Amino acid sequence: MEPARGSVKNRIRQLRFEHGEMTQQALAERIGVSRQTVNAIEGGKYAPSLEVAFRIALVFAVPIEAVFQFDPDAK
Amino acid sequence: MSASFAEKSVWIQLLGMAVALGLYFVVAGWMLASGITILPDFAGVFVVAVVLLVAILIGGHLVAALMGRPEPADVRDRELEGRAEGRTGWILATGVIGAIGALVVAVEPVWVAHLLLLSLYLSELARLALQLVYYRRGM
Repeated sequence: MEPARGSVKNRIRQLRFEHGEMTQQALAERIGVSRQTVNAIEGGKYAPSLEVAFRIALVFAVPIEAVFQFDPDAK
Repeated sequence: MSASFAEKSVWIQLLGMAVALGLYFVVAGWMLASGITILPDFAGVFVVAVVLLVAILIGGHLVAALMGRPEPADVRDRELEGRAEGRTGWILATGVIGAIGALVVAVEPVWVAHLLLLSLYLSELARLALQLVYYRRGM
């Protein structure tokens, strides 16, 4: 079996910018995680749970696919 | 990227375990090498090690709390811990199986107890170290 490929990309940095330069801390407080977790999600070092992903989308008032995209070709 | 309170806590636990119980194993190893095989003789050293561990944990967390705002562990912290535990649990399991085997061949209880304690110690060190790897490298 071939190893699974692909990774989850996100537009959180851009969405924060579009929402009045919302800080990572402000976003973290609204979704109930630490600032470091937001930083890890934004930097692609941590794929969030579905619940956290939905919370993020809810904060920016966009569909979840506008925040997260799956890139099947990424290693 | 600065460390979260939960990550700092893991560093403190790793340091405390490595120092306090590491010192215990140095002393216990010396005692075993000297021919001391009565288990209660080790109790005093173990109590001192546990007190030292608790002191390091309390002191470390106090300093961490003063340096930054303490926050409860979040979903990522719990996931990192669970994944690290899942990948290092075999160390403790190996120690337990080894201890059962030692009992079968009638090894002295002091050796069995220390085999169990050592496997618990190594398992915890590995878990904490792996958690820190996940925090830094991502997962």
